[in-house]
Amino acid sequence: MAYINLNRNAKKHKFIVNALLYALMTLLAVILLFPYAYMVSKSLMTGEEVVDPTLRLLPEVPQFKNYLRIFQNEDYLNGFIHTLIIVGSNCIIVPLSASVIAFSFAKLKWVGRGFMFAIMLGTMMLPGVVTQLSLYAIYVDLNWINTLYPFIIPNLFGGGALYIFLIRQFMLGIPRDMDNAAKIDGANAFVRYWSIVLPLCKPVLIYVVVNVFISYWGDYYGPFVYMRASYAPKTLAQVVFENSMEKDAATYNANMRMCGGVIMSIVPAILFAIFQKQLIEGVVMTGLKD
Amino acid sequence: MSKISLKIKRTVKNSYTGWLFNLPLAIGIGVFTLVPVLMSLFDSFFSYDGLNNADSRIWVGMANYVRIFTKDRDMQKVVVNTLVYTIVSIPINLVASYFLALLVNSTLKGVTVYRVFYYLPCMIPAVAGGLLWADMFDGTFGLFNKFLGVFGIGPFDFFKSEDMSALVSVFIMNLWSVGGGMILWLSAFKNIGKHYYEAAILDGANAWHRLVHITIPMSSAMIFYNVITSVIGTLQYNGTLTFGTRNGRGENNALYMYAVKIYYEAFEKGKIGYASALAWLMLIVIAIVTFIMFRTSSWVFYAEEN
Repeated sequence: MAYINLNRNAKKHKFIVNALLYALMTLLAVILLFPYAYMVSKSLMTGEEVVDPTLRLLPEVPQFKNYLRIFQNEDYLNGFIHTLIIVGSNCIIVPLSASVIAFSFAKLKWVGRGFMFAIMLGTMMLPGVVTQLSLYAIYVDLNWINTLYPFIIPNLFGGGALYIFLIRQFMLGIPRDMDNAAKIDGANAFVRYWSIVLPLCKPVLIYVVVNVFISYWGDYYGPFVYMRASYAPKTLAQVVFENSMEKDAATYNANMRMCGGVIMSIVPAILFAIFQKQLIEGVVMTGLKD
Repeated sequence: MSKISLKIKRTVKNSYTGWLFNLPLAIGIGVFTLVPVLMSLFDSFFSYDGLNNADSRIWVGMANYVRIFTKDRDMQKVVVNTLVYTIVSIPINLVASYFLALLVNSTLKGVTVYRVFYYLPCMIPAVAGGLLWADMFDGTFGLFNKFLGVFGIGPFDFFKSEDMSALVSVFIMNLWSVGGGMILWLSAFKNIGKHYYEAAILDGANAWHRLVHITIPMSSAMIFYNVITSVIGTLQYNGTLTFGTRNGRGENNALYMYAVKIYYEAFEKGKIGYASALAWLMLIVIAIVTFIMFRTSSWVFYAEEN
């Protein structure tokens, strides 16, 4: 009898704890997602509702035509195209160049490999502020300033130490037998890279592509520095930023600006929703495996 | 003899393939990393007038470095802001994300959905986030002031404050993206063996004891990694560019931090030499801080791989 009572108490106790946990988790989710919802809501308001002095959270009638207006705006449209060019070319270039280099570290034996690997890891620790000023000077000499080249050409040379490192780690996990069998059959290094190792790297390559997409999609500092002139191509992030820096940012045209913010945010959010598993596991990989 | 020479020949031939595959990296590191690093060291001893004006170069020796410490009036505020930002925001974010991770590190139904919700704000690009928060923090039409006004509090200037409260607004905004750290902690928790907890429960340890004596020590390697990367990243924080007035410096320089200082000196004022000196000083500081953290990392416990 006493035992059953105890059991029932424990169950009741557990139920209360779980209910509290759910309440807390839901509260936090509401707080963290609220700004997101507010951005969407404000993007659907009319110009008058935006300057409504009362606490207004929802539009009277959602103004979906705000989004149509954004897509008719030449600045946003051009920004979108430029961003797509940068993002699209990097989504092809970075995984290819990073995997070629990763292959040399993971599957080839050569004099100087350890040295190059150490140097590469060293560059990961180097703060970006030290290279940016001289890179600017180099790009001036190459006539790359106010063009899209600084965001694309350097990535032909590896596309970032972190990605190379991750792909190498993944390649090390591919059984050597497969590679060796091809070697005995007379396949050269390039054939082994292209038709055996690379197809097996699909999971890590997806992680790289999604990350490249998200980081170049949202990159603001690079365009601020390398495409400053008024005649330079502008990325979407730049257009959104420049419109947000107008005077009285919260009043005039705030609904249109929020449309820009929503468009900028919705794309990574969709990517995250689709590739959630790979991204979170990828973070786990980047975490502490050395 | 011939066997040895054959072996050397083969090594050279194999190395040839390896280097061929590695060539892009060697060129890339040379052109886009090593040369710029050395160039900026070189530039830090010169004075330049204008961004693209190499003709104006004048040798000034250590004068740029001396200026950082003596003549530059903005510098004191920049250093204080950067230090306060680093010292306050790192613990806040690490602790908040740690507790968030503890909260969703359960097997409750639907907990993965909550993880996605918490991580979602991290997916918002900085520019969109800056735009949104500048809007919500607006002096007259901002959501926060309208809401606080209902209770008769405020209005506050938030990002546009002239004092430390501008930085406090940044801390509030940063809490929004606390889900990024959460994911890292969760991956660390995953690697802690279940048997530790089972044994502790048998010994009668409560939840608090399990946290202090198992979870925290067993995730200390991740704590260390997070502290190091946060310190390096936070010292170089330039996010105020996306929401701060006056090119990210804020009113009365209330948001003015080191990375924005470099950006401002170089790209707004064209003082490449001075900006290079600032950048190299940052490199030295980061190197020293990282070195000290590694030397004092005896508290970190590295679990054996199983």
